[in-house]
Amino acid sequence: MKHTGNYGMMAEFDSPTTLVAAARQTYEAGYKRIDAYSPFPIEELAEAIGFHHNSVPLVVLIGGLLGCASGYLLQWWISTVSYPINVGGRPYHSWPAFIVVTFEMTILFSVLAAVFGMLALNGLPMPYHPVFNVPRFAFATRDRFFLMIFSSDPKYRGSETKAFLESLNPRSISEVPQ
Amino acid sequence: MSSPGVVNLDLSAPPIVRLMERRSLIIGVIFAVIAIVGAFLRTDEFFHAYLLGFMLWLGVALGSMAILMIRHLTGGGWGVVIRRLQGAAMRTLPLLALLFVPIPFGRRFLYIWARPLDSIPDAHLRQHLAEITRSYLSVQGFIIRAVIYFAIWIGLSFFLSKWSAQHDQPPMRDTSARAKALSGPGLVLYAFTISFAAIDWVMSIDPSWISTIYGLIILIGEVLSAMCFAVVIERILVDYKPMSELLKPDFVHDHGKWMLTFLMLWAYFSFSQWLIIWAGNLPEEITWYIRRLYGGWGSIGLMLVVFHFVVPFVLLLSRPFKRNIRKLVWLATGLMIMRFVDLFWIIEPNFSPTIRVTWLDIVVPVAMGGLWLAYFFHNLASMPLLPAFDPYVREVWEPTHSEAGA
Repeated sequence: MKHTGNYGMMAEFDSPTTLVAAARQTYEAGYKRIDAYSPFPIEELAEAIGFHHNSVPLVVLIGGLLGCASGYLLQWWISTVSYPINVGGRPYHSWPAFIVVTFEMTILFSVLAAVFGMLALNGLPMPYHPVFNVPRFAFATRDRFFLMIFSSDPKYRGSETKAFLESLNPRSISEVPQ
Repeated sequence: MSSPGVVNLDLSAPPIVRLMERRSLIIGVIFAVIAIVGAFLRTDEFFHAYLLGFMLWLGVALGSMAILMIRHLTGGGWGVVIRRLQGAAMRTLPLLALLFVPIPFGRRFLYIWARPLDSIPDAHLRQHLAEITRSYLSVQGFIIRAVIYFAIWIGLSFFLSKWSAQHDQPPMRDTSARAKALSGPGLVLYAFTISFAAIDWVMSIDPSWISTIYGLIILIGEVLSAMCFAVVIERILVDYKPMSELLKPDFVHDHGKWMLTFLMLWAYFSFSQWLIIWAGNLPEEITWYIRRLYGGWGSIGLMLVVFHFVVPFVLLLSRPFKRNIRKLVWLATGLMIMRFVDLFWIIEPNFSPTIRVTWLDIVVPVAMGGLWLAYFFHNLASMPLLPAFDPYVREVWEPTHSEAGA
């Protein structure tokens, strides 16, 4: 086990409004490797910590296209190659009949890609995470709002960062062990 | 945030609204004169175009009323910020009732069942028409039902507008329970009346064809065009106070989501009708599509698939696109045009086996639109853009977390 230095430093706030304001100031002060935790989603927070882009939509799109293609090709192969049946004199390759299943497969694959893609991109499941070393972090699921600056941030200097976080008037500041 | 939230903002409509009213009126009058000349030159083509234009603008008014009622039931800032635009569109219904009047007079140019039975050469069709005109499709029934539809629509619109106007004056009071109690049954009534109206006014052009999902296709097209219309008008207003202060990207995002929802429902209903009729392949049903897929009409159908579904669907998947009113407005305008094309494809192939676009098909809907828009802008200018004394208006100007912290 490596015990060199901290994972980061964490500040605790009372309300979503103060958290968003603090996150914005921290980002503007030049800290880029930061994260924030709250008991419920706050729309503005992602933007405040400079989180603009995630890859879930792309994963979903790829999943959807795969589902669409596989759904259509499966039916095309069954109806024209593997087991052709004459239905009411229609051509074997009758696309209108394939649309419903193709659509459903698109949705199914998109949804699966969304769920599992989201989990994978978040690195979940994650049995251990250093933030839980801070006892007060338990309140993040209730009524407290936390801002985190990771020690991997190039601007991170123990005492300097602590002084900066204090300037944001948090309820408490904790160092997060690895 | 215990204060009522009435900010120092002039909520009255900006002068641009009056300017748009005058412009619309000028366009409407000029095109109406041309249309009236056309009515004497080519009376049958005039009435075909007249029904097309009527259904288009009726759809915007009724769809606006439906979205307004949805907002009363669900709540949400997205609906508060456009409720007065939709109220103004809804209050044009008396004008639309007036515009309906020529249709019964021109019935012989539109509806084969309204013509003298002796003039119909096909004995089988004559027999069929003799039966349905005795029961449902009589001229008298057609008129009585139209009166009932408009009475219901104007009645709903009257109460919704009246209650909304009460919120322009103090005291602040919450009357949402009353609006909810009307809107729930109101939406059900709207679904039934528009289904019957669609059958009476459009589907009966071809009295030997039936489709049970037809009313819903018309309904969802109306609601879609109304949402697009709201986006277009909010784009015009967002350059001026007070809309520039009120319209947040979150609301535009929600309007974009509604557009996507209605667009997908339209595609779902339209495709369901096609799939079921195609699968059944029965002579009395499939003829409707054969008429609309051959003789050049198929190109219009293909245009609908691409520009009334595929392209807008792909664009509306993008989150930044939906949040940007300056981009979304182009799609909304395009979809309103496609709504016109959709109605054109539903109505016009009845009258010509090969593709035919007459100058009246453009002139009459534009004339009607000009007059309708003039009345709409007149209504819009006559009330503040937000009811200041409705407690739910707080949803619009309540600051978000980031604004409060700044």
